[in-house]
Parts: sequence; structure tokens; C-alpha cells
Amino acid sequence: MGKLLHLLNQSELVSAIKSNESDVLKHFYTTNYKKVEFLILKNSGSIDHAKDIYQEAFITVWTHVKNDKFIPSNDTALQGYLYQIAKNKWMDVLRSKSFKSTKSLNNNILSFIKDEDNSEDLDLVNDKLKIAMLAFKNLGQPCKQLLTTFYFDKKSLKEIASELNIEETTARNKKYRCMKKLRDMALAPNN
Amino acid sequence: MKENNDISQELLEIIERYINGSMTSQELKDFNQLLELDKDFKIKVEDIKTMLYGIETQALKEQLDTFHKDIPKTEVKKSKYKKVRYLNLSKIAAAAAIIIAVGSIWFFSTPKNDKLYTNYFKPDPGLPTTMSSTDNFDFYDAMVNYKHGDYQIAIDKWKVLQERKPENDTLNYFLGVAHLANKSVSDAIPFLERSIEAEDSFVFLDDAYYYLGLAYLKEGNTELAKKNLSISNTKTSKEIISKLKK
Repeated sequence: MGKLLHLLNQSELVSAIKSNESDVLKHFYTTNYKKVEFLILKNSGSIDHAKDIYQEAFITVWTHVKNDKFIPSNDTALQGYLYQIAKNKWMDVLRSKSFKSTKSLNNNILSFIKDEDNSEDLDLVNDKLKIAMLAFKNLGQPCKQLLTTFYFDKKSLKEIASELNIEETTARNKKYRCMKKLRDMALAPNN
Repeated sequence: MKENNDISQELLEIIERYINGSMTSQELKDFNQLLELDKDFKIKVEDIKTMLYGIETQALKEQLDTFHKDIPKTEVKKSKYKKVRYLNLSKIAAAAAIIIAVGSIWFFSTPKNDKLYTNYFKPDPGLPTTMSSTDNFDFYDAMVNYKHGDYQIAIDKWKVLQERKPENDTLNYFLGVAHLANKSVSDAIPFLERSIEAEDSFVFLDDAYYYLGLAYLKEGNTELAKKNLSISNTKTSKEIISKLKK
């Protein structure tokens, strides 16, 4: 990276998010959490709520940035957007029946709310996406690692090949087999 | 759906290039044409798109947990602090419960009796000593000691007399009272018990019951204290009983 992360302007931040630059994502994640936690703790939420809501909001922001649904208009637009989405999500939880009717929240209820929330979420409403995510979650570690490096870290097959000390064509074939495996898993919902 | 799964390596890579926007304009043109013509192909492309998005989203999701561990330490402290405070609250609650329990035991039993005892116990003033009655010289000699507050000497002297006349109510009574004044309650009780066996005409009967009641109060036996105090027909014993009932 070499750049001072906090000096990134919004368009640099957007392009870094689009290419999943890990240290930028991490910086963006860690520096904006505190405010959201403060908000949720002040509004009858717990530390666990704060983490869950914040992560959901973060993924939403990331998706919107990726799909050009959000174009920043000022220097702190993205940070404000993340906060606003987290706030709205928390308001939805507070308004939800299951939260109102339960004074003490345990994890079951929390995950219930989460599921409910997810199903309402426009970005995660797609069942196919959920299936794909679950399949990838359960994919064997070697394939998972390879696909993450290729599709998330956006590394080229050449880079991956040299890291794994294999031929580029081998890496290419491995990647294809892993994708097939993942698709098989996603298309056989019981596995 | 099954046939959707059969996808060649070449086709997968072409679709990927379409998705990440690395096609040449000519390729893109052809590809878009194909999408319009072939509905099944369009579905296939959408599925791949979803799949890739799923990979990215899940990968990000898993990274977020790693990021979360590195959130500045103030946050960690804050959450610890919350926990600690929570723990302390329950500790405080437990401590408060114990204090209340112990406190109420203290308040409702012996210590209260102790307080009542110290408030109400005054040694019997004793009998006026005159030099004339030679008969009971030894008895009055001890009474002088008793009045001077030398209770142990009085007890020793009276004891000698009492051994000769174990049934003497007055002796038993003063021995009991002297023991009480000498702060040996357990020694006082047997003498006082014997003194209340006296006939109703016994001058010190009310006082004997009163002091016996006080002695039991000091011992922590509220029931016997109440019983004896209620027999004693004195103002102070009634007062004590009413206070015990509170």
C-alpha cells in the first residue's frame, strides 16, 4: 500500500473498496465501529448487537460501492453512509416484534432477528446468493483459499501460481475444478 | 438446473471476463447479443455472477471477524469495563443481600437483646446495712462489699452462707444479682431460678423474675426472657416486653 490510509480521499477509498484492498477495508472497518457501538449501546443494545449490525451494514455499504449504488459527495460521505445504514438497521431491530416482546435477548433471538433482517435486506434477499455463500463457507480449505485469493483479493493466476509454486496452467485448472465443486455444492442444497 | 452445472472452463472464463469488465468492446458486443438471444445462457451468466458475488461476500464476512479482533484497545477495554461493572453489580447485590440477612439476624436476635439488657440492667441497689443486726453480720458484711461494687468478694462471702442455707431465697436472689452485676450471666441464672421458687410473699419475687428475665435476654433466650419478665409485675419489665415485640 505505502499510502497513509487516513489520507485516502473518497474516490480512492471507493476504488480501494471495489478491489477489496484488505488494509483499506480493515482501516475503514475499525475506525468507524466505535460510533456505531456507542449508538447501539445507548439504545438498549449489547456489544454483540453492535458487532452484528455493524457487520451487516458494512457488507451493505461494500455492496453498494461495488455496484455503484453509492457515489460519495463529500469527504466523509462513505463513513456517514455506513453510520446511517447501521443506524437504520438498528432501528429496524428495535421496531421488530421479536425485540419488543423480549426483554432479555439471548443468542437465539439475536440470530432470529438477524435472519429476519437479512430476508428484508434488499442486497441479501436473493436465495441463490445465500446458497452460494453457504456453499463457499463450507467449501474445503484449499479451494476456499484459492478462490478467495482469485476472486476476493483479485490476484492474477500468475501471482497465485508463483505463490503456490505451481505452473500457471495448474492454477487455472485448480481454480476451474474448485468452481465446479462449489457449483455442485450450491446446486445440491442438502449438502 | 442440473444442466446449468455443465460449464466448460473456457465459457466460465469468458463469463468471468464479462462480469469483471475486462472484455474488448467487440467481445462485449457479441456477448450482449448472445444474452439477448439465449435466455438459458442469460440465466447461466446470472448464476455465475451470483456465485462470484457469494464468494466475495462470504470472504469479506469472514474477514470482518478478523478485523473486529483488531479494533482499537479502548473498545476492548470498554467492553471489559462493561462486563466488570456487570459482575460488580451482581457482586454488590449479593453482598447487599448478605449484609441485609446478617443485619436482620443481628437486629432481630441477640444483639437487640444485648442492647435491651445494657439499657435496662442496673444492679439491685442492695439492702441498707445497719450495724445493729448482729445475727446476719456475715450477710450484711457481704452486702457492704456488694454495694461497693466488689461483687466477687460479696459472691464468695454469700456462697459460704448459702451452702449452709441453700433454700434461703434472699441469699439466692442476691447471689444471682451479684453474678449478673459481675457479668457472669450463666452463673446468675441457677441462683435466680432458685429464688423464684420462693413463696409469693417473698419481697424480691418481682425483682427476681425481672433479673431472671434480663439474664435470659442476655443469654439470647428471648422466649424464657419474655416468660419471666411477664411474671414480674414491674413497669420496666413491661417496657422491655413491649420492646421485644417490636
